[in-house]
Amino acid sequence: MDRELIVAVSDLTCRYAGAPRDALVAVSLEVRAGEFHALLGPNGSGKTTLLRAALGLIRPIQGRAEILGRPANQWSRRDLARVVGVVPQREENLFPQRVHETVLLGRYPHLSLFGGVRTADRAAVERALLACDAVGLADRWLWTLSGGEYQRVRLARALAQEPKLLVLDEPTTSLDLRHEMELFELVRELVDTQGLAALMITHHVNLAARFADQVLILAEGRAVARGAPADVLTRETVERVFSWPVAIEPFDGRPQMIPLRRHPS
Amino acid sequence: MRYLLLGAAVLTTLAAALLLGPANVPLGDLLASPILWQLRLPRAVLAFLVGGALGVSGVALQALVRNPLADPFLLGLSGGAGLGAVVAIALHLPGPWALPLAAFVGAVSAMALVYRLGLMGSAELDPRILLLGGVAVGAFAAAITTALVSLAEATELRNAFLWLWGGFSGASWTTVLVILVYAPLPLVVLVAAARPLDLLALGEEPAQYLGADVRRLKRIVYLSASLLTAAAVAVAGVIGFVGLIVPHVCRLLWGRLHRTLFPTAFLAGGILLAAADTLARTVVAPRELPVGIVTALLGVPLFAFLLRRWTVS
Amino acid sequence: MRRWAQRTHLAALLVLAVAACARREHVPARGGIAVTDDAGRQVTLAAPARRIVSLLPSFTEILFAIGAGDRLVGRTTWCDYPPEALAVPSVGDGIPPSVEAVAARRPDLVVLYRSGPNVTAAEQLERLGIRTVLLDLNLLEELGPAARRLGVLTGRPQAGDSLGAAMDSLAAQPPTPSTRSLVFIVWDNPPIVIGAGSYLDRLAALAGARNVFHDIGSPSAQVSIETIAARDPDFVALLSDSAVPPRYAARPEWRVVRAVRTARFLFLPGQLFGRPGPRAAEAIRELRRRLAAAP
Repeated sequence: MDRELIVAVSDLTCRYAGAPRDALVAVSLEVRAGEFHALLGPNGSGKTTLLRAALGLIRPIQGRAEILGRPANQWSRRDLARVVGVVPQREENLFPQRVHETVLLGRYPHLSLFGGVRTADRAAVERALLACDAVGLADRWLWTLSGGEYQRVRLARALAQEPKLLVLDEPTTSLDLRHEMELFELVRELVDTQGLAALMITHHVNLAARFADQVLILAEGRAVARGAPADVLTRETVERVFSWPVAIEPFDGRPQMIPLRRHPS
Repeated sequence: MRYLLLGAAVLTTLAAALLLGPANVPLGDLLASPILWQLRLPRAVLAFLVGGALGVSGVALQALVRNPLADPFLLGLSGGAGLGAVVAIALHLPGPWALPLAAFVGAVSAMALVYRLGLMGSAELDPRILLLGGVAVGAFAAAITTALVSLAEATELRNAFLWLWGGFSGASWTTVLVILVYAPLPLVVLVAAARPLDLLALGEEPAQYLGADVRRLKRIVYLSASLLTAAAVAVAGVIGFVGLIVPHVCRLLWGRLHRTLFPTAFLAGGILLAAADTLARTVVAPRELPVGIVTALLGVPLFAFLLRRWTVS
Repeated sequence: MRRWAQRTHLAALLVLAVAACARREHVPARGGIAVTDDAGRQVTLAAPARRIVSLLPSFTEILFAIGAGDRLVGRTTWCDYPPEALAVPSVGDGIPPSVEAVAARRPDLVVLYRSGPNVTAAEQLERLGIRTVLLDLNLLEELGPAARRLGVLTGRPQAGDSLGAAMDSLAAQPPTPSTRSLVFIVWDNPPIVIGAGSYLDRLAALAGARNVFHDIGSPSAQVSIETIAARDPDFVALLSDSAVPPRYAARPEWRVVRAVRTARFLFLPGQLFGRPGPRAAEAIRELRRRLAAAP
């Protein structure tokens, strides 16, 4: 029984206006329900571009991006927000707000134009907070939260959208070890228990290898390798993509990358 | 509780506007007096509606440019209105409607020009360019205005500027009708945009991921807020501070969700301006102060008080 | 002994020199004329002015009234009385004065109304070697001094004094007991009325009409329609050359004012009433006549 295909990107080529080269070249990706995908690659390799193109924010020069079988650019933003929950890299917070208010914003795609907030909506917020272990934070002001707490809250907001796919763009930069591990474990748990699909852009190669089902490595806009971590994360591939000598050691059945010193003492 | 206070403030302000005035009309005769029906009532209603329009417009523009210091007149509208008014005077355009209509046309032209600048190559409005473009267009219009002023008849222009500096001395049921014709559509559009504007506060990309059609949203919010402001200028000249301060006061008291912010800003703006007008026409009687001065004198201490209370709590 | 004498001589010389300087200021050159203008400047001419540029209609009228009209070589576009003035070449509207146009007329005296921009223009003309005189002329009281000084400057002191005396006695008259009241409306949106510090207010008082806004000290002020209605003047006076009621008269909010509703307007021609001038007495008589003639 095939799991539901959420995002299907095939042969996607994109270029930003006025850019000298393509940001993405013939990249393909398929994300199904219950799968945790990691998107790896050095800075500028096109990871965020792939995200934007897959979700219809950028028009590709070539190739297709489809969500649930329908072309991405045919989805209204509102409908798409009910299927895909995104935790972007950056967001602004101009005016102070409380945690439950910001999580409630995740319900907006479900609210009718002039209608009010229903019990079902508040229940969804509760569930989202619970899943992210953030119920105790509900009445706190956002600006009082720690980095890890804040990320959990943003994840709760994405969950409140009741999406089929969770997308996270570098969610663990500036988080300490504990919060980083907690986040990866949380995403893994959501994928396993709630049947969500997850697509995470991250710099943390090792955690991606430990937690993800599938890994896609991009370099200069091209897909270098795609597949299970054990198949993809080889020494040759990693050294070529990241331009640094590494050793690969297995841990817990998954390859772990150990960067080597260029100038040993 | 706060809503009750708001409602009470609305009633008190309107009552004061209707009962106070240089003509000492005894209470019993008031309802039959043309002083009430032709002068005080349209003036109070107009001040209220203009204040409400400016309050709502301020909320919308602060959300659009994501800058709490934005004022409806920051986007070049007051410069455009001033230029329109001065052109009407310099050309000796006839009729009582020449001046307000020219001011409206001037404001709308400035809006269109800033809009064009804000698009600047891409198909999407960039709020930072909107702000810069607004300042530039405003300065440009002010320069042309000054040039015209130096070339034209002195007394007429002084009188035009007195009109432009804001006031309800010329209020009538006709001016009330003008704002009733122009204001409802932008108001409805903005209230419908309330939830997407909540999302916009997170940033343009996060807002899109949460379901807001940000491109369309920016366009309609800018056009609606500018139209509201242009309508206000056409009937009452340029009155600053209301659009800047009312959104902050309402946010401090009622939070930042636009569904509550728009209605409360409308009422609060109406209260502020109606109260300011009552003061403007009573404190130095028989003369009148320009309303803009009174709104600044009232609004700024009020804001400081609320800000202190909020930061302490 | 010698040193004491030297010192005394030096001191005496110094005293004489200072005295000579001081005296030079007070004693005009032989045959010369001197007046002090309203900017506090000492204006001196070697001989009565023969080529005069007048930069205010009131001064033009005064100059003609004292018989010096034939000396005018320049006027503003607004100077339209007496009719002979129209034959004098115009140097522009005078707001602000075009220094080049004035200088082109090669005047030996320029008469200006004392205002900020005019003070600057006067300084520029003086730098070109052209004598200027700055006079105040906002009020009835200022007509007399202006006439007298213009008389001195044009070598017609008797005419200047006689006109000045007539103006002074007019200004000294107590207000006629008023039987009617009026308001001067200058602008409608916002409503601007004339107050006590003005020429028109004074004319009204001398003509027997009370300005309902006489309690406002400044020449003009912004008020509300309600205030005008509350003070209920008998007439609305306005400067207008035609007898067409102003546009605001048809608007319902203005019709709350009784005088507007009953169309009791006083249309005062700008040429006679719009500026202080030698015909002030005639203006007062005209106003009195219209007040009496009105129902």
